[in-house]
Amino acid sequence: MTRHVIETELALYATGDLPFWRGTLVKVHVRGCDECRGLVEALRMDRQGLRRSADDMPANVDWDQLAAEMTANIRVGLAAGECVTPRERKVAAISWRPMAIAAGLVVLLAGAWWLNIPRSDTETIGRALHNIATGERAGERVGSAQEERGPVVGASSAGVVLVENGGQIRIDQGGLEPVMYSVSTQGSASARYVDQDTGQVTITATYVQ
Amino acid sequence: MCNKLSLTLAVAGAISLHAQALNHKIDFPKDSPVSLLSEDFGNSNATARGANLIEVNAALSLRNSGQKRIRSMTLMVSTQDAAGKGSVSVPTLDAGPGETFSVHIGTRLVRPLTAGNPVVEVTLDGVLFDDLSFFGPDLLHSQRSMIRWELEAQRDRKYFKTLLAAGGPNGGIEGLRKEMLSSLARQGDSSQRGVQMVRGRSTNIDAERESQFAFLDIPESPVEASNGRARIGASLAGAPQFEVHNRSNRPVRHLEVAWIVKDQQGREFLAASMPADMTLVPNQSGQVSQDAALRFDRPISIQSMSGFVSSVEFADGSQWIPSRGALDQTRLQQLVAPSPEEQRLSQIYTKKGIQALIDELKKF
Repeated sequence: MTRHVIETELALYATGDLPFWRGTLVKVHVRGCDECRGLVEALRMDRQGLRRSADDMPANVDWDQLAAEMTANIRVGLAAGECVTPRERKVAAISWRPMAIAAGLVVLLAGAWWLNIPRSDTETIGRALHNIATGERAGERVGSAQEERGPVVGASSAGVVLVENGGQIRIDQGGLEPVMYSVSTQGSASARYVDQDTGQVTITATYVQ
Repeated sequence: MCNKLSLTLAVAGAISLHAQALNHKIDFPKDSPVSLLSEDFGNSNATARGANLIEVNAALSLRNSGQKRIRSMTLMVSTQDAAGKGSVSVPTLDAGPGETFSVHIGTRLVRPLTAGNPVVEVTLDGVLFDDLSFFGPDLLHSQRSMIRWELEAQRDRKYFKTLLAAGGPNGGIEGLRKEMLSSLARQGDSSQRGVQMVRGRSTNIDAERESQFAFLDIPESPVEASNGRARIGASLAGAPQFEVHNRSNRPVRHLEVAWIVKDQQGREFLAASMPADMTLVPNQSGQVSQDAALRFDRPISIQSMSGFVSSVEFADGSQWIPSRGALDQTRLQQLVAPSPEEQRLSQIYTKKGIQALIDELKKF
């Protein structure tokens, strides 16, 4: 036997795990081969070292339970890692058809609103939403007469206005700014305008019925 | 492509059909001293958008078809089912028989949507002549206001004419010029605030406290006001009440008290007028209580309130208004708005100069 024995057979030989016939052939070779004998000695020393290390492990360890716990810990770790890692969002495929339908609906609703809802009501709704958003009480704002349920007359630089029973009358003399305006507790409001050229004075008024 | 174009045109057509030409009616009594020469409702229209939105932009050319000089006129503007009434008055007229004048009406009305086209009606509420006689149905009680404007005009014209005739450094043309400049300065300084009057809600206001009125006594006033108070809240005041006493020897049927408010910065302004229909025989007292709340369009902290009797109407229809001297003595001139006639005269001075003003004062 001139060829060296392969390392795996030497390892089995070192632990006495080779079959009898094969083990006898390897034993004859190792006695006559310094290199293989040295390797067998090294394997035996390693095995003795492992045995000494195994003696240091705690006694009565349930290896199956330990393996199960380690597996569970590994899974928990993986799950936690997914939580803190930013997820890649799936981008939905954008189709122009739903967008076009939605835009059409918006145009339709806006048109229906414009045709059927008076501007004063739109303004009232806008103010109500603004009040809700800002937490403002209706009584703290006087810009709109529509907030009241009873008849309201108002006078300002925009002219005079009366709001009553859902109806409204506003006199503004074509956007001119009055030189003075006032209200009375009997339910009227008046505004005075002066013609810049002739000096003629015009007084407009609204009255609660 | 053709279908899309048709649809677009149909929508545009439907939208444009909503704005219609306005149906209007001008109705003057047959025996009216004012007749209609021409009318122009060119920019007026009615739009059906949930409600009828009616915009009136009209110019009327009128003629004095009576025998007396017209000093002022009030037109009533209304439509069926609309809220309340509106009016347009011209208080500083001087239209002799046969003379023409024009009135501009700029009004926007909103009324519930009903079948049929809305019709705007312009009717005559009243005409006041230079002898203080009156013509018209007076549905808006405009006669009272028109007489007051005329009394104020007579008072102020007399004052300016007296000033012009007087000598010395404060009289004559220079005196009139100074007075005009002073009037213009007052008009420029007047601090006005947008204000609303809510009727029938004064018991619901968030009143923080009750405040007393400090009434300014005008010695010549036939009625004395006292013991006034109102509830004050954040930027509002309501439920005013006060006592009045007729200290004249004539029965009173109507009076008005001016309501002045002072804010925390010490600025005073005329907030509202408090008219009261009540019968007061000589030496009789009465109580005025009004269920109304006054609100300002800007936040204001009301520091105090004051008032004064601004006009009184006697049982015979004649009226009392404060003299210029009384207004000067009580420093109310700064708070009370100048009369329409004073504003007209000061505008003539501004636009045409002192000689045009003198010529105007010489007319009547």
